[in-house]
Amino acid sequence: MENGKLNYPLRSLYFYLTEGCNLKCRHCWIAPKYLAPGKVAQGLDVKLFQSIINQAKLLGLGSVKFTGGEPLMHPAIFELLEVVCNEELDLNVETNGILCTSELAEALKGASKNTFVSVSLDGADADTHEWVRGVTGSFEAALDGIRNLVHAGLKPQVIMTIMQRNKNQMEAMVRLAEQIGAGSVKFNLVQPTERGVAMHEAMETLPIEELVELGNWVEHTLSASTNIRLVYSHPLAFRPLGKMFGDKGDGWGLCGILGILGVLADGSYAWCGIGESVPELVFGHAAIKRLEKVWLETNVLENLREGFATKLEGVCAECLLKGICLGTCVAQNYYRSKSLWSANWYCEGARKAGLFPETRLKPKVVKEKNL
Amino acid sequence: MKSDDRPLADPMLVLREEFDDWAILFDPDTGDSFGVNPVSVFIFKHLDGRNTLDDIMHKLSVECEDAPDDAEQYVAEFIDSLVQKGFAGFEQ
Repeated sequence: MENGKLNYPLRSLYFYLTEGCNLKCRHCWIAPKYLAPGKVAQGLDVKLFQSIINQAKLLGLGSVKFTGGEPLMHPAIFELLEVVCNEELDLNVETNGILCTSELAEALKGASKNTFVSVSLDGADADTHEWVRGVTGSFEAALDGIRNLVHAGLKPQVIMTIMQRNKNQMEAMVRLAEQIGAGSVKFNLVQPTERGVAMHEAMETLPIEELVELGNWVEHTLSASTNIRLVYSHPLAFRPLGKMFGDKGDGWGLCGILGILGVLADGSYAWCGIGESVPELVFGHAAIKRLEKVWLETNVLENLREGFATKLEGVCAECLLKGICLGTCVAQNYYRSKSLWSANWYCEGARKAGLFPETRLKPKVVKEKNL
Repeated sequence: MKSDDRPLADPMLVLREEFDDWAILFDPDTGDSFGVNPVSVFIFKHLDGRNTLDDIMHKLSVECEDAPDDAEQYVAEFIDSLVQKGFAGFEQ
């Protein structure tokens, strides 16, 4: 702390509201237990939620994210939204859309001046989406949810995770998103975490060469064919500078790992949802431990803050954008290697394939390469 | 900056130009990087200790159509910001 101000304010809390989910997505990086229709999800206690918010506001909190599991399954979701409203926080929600009734969509819209909702849609048709999501009927239900959000006055983002099965539907997804009134489409990559590991091993994901090629196509061709914003979740080293900086840039779209903390459905503090599968990234229970102590005194968080500028390894150490990219997803990097500083799998794969943009590497590396 | 100042970019800085005329300006001393738009790239490349602000403005007007009336102010501010960061100085 300097001059009474936190060097690293806690800007946002990510609430993994429920332990269960009503879908069985084959790529899920958290892998919650499946709950059939009618089953009630175990979720974060509302009083504990309020207490965490109260403590976090003293540390700089300005926004919360609701994710899961499936956040809209939380039995007291309306009460949680009321707290968000009373505390005047920005709200970000990641949902599969299935339970997003018109009433809930209105409540989401009314909970914050800045509500942003992302809905997962992994295919432009029911067969594809439900192959990924594992539950019949989930495609139409998700579309209904998106329509309810649009009707409530929101501009939901459609998130499509690309893989072998749906890679040929990316353009169709953009057209579908335009048609139903979505505000943007984000193309995610299958991360080699939890269920995503099995997909990588079964080669149901895309090779790095194809991922890089698709990224270029989205950035330069598909984006030019639509008025809605498209985001391809490749690391910053692969994004055109004009799309990150400048008047028409849309920023970096990165995980703000230095300013966020996760809260799991059982009330434990964790780095983020990775705490569900990596026990050493759980930092204690909110009913027992003060948030300030967790935020300011947890060794892993301190190490992270001290080491980012200098300790990243592999291609990340040589990348000119490491100061803002921070390894893209430290949680994913840690899951894979048990090191905070290991390089991102996408960037390492691209470098091995000779596809890492040379203009984004420190000059010394280029010189060595040219010798 | 004064009109007869001749700004000179720090020769140790690295400007990595890309396909779309944007560039990354990299400071090897600190490891900091900055995204630079095409007009700023043009200006930066003319900070060679020989061009005054007027010279740069003249060359910019030849290169860029529809430059706004207050372009000179923005160019001067950009150069000043480089000087403040220690990325440029002045040849007298």
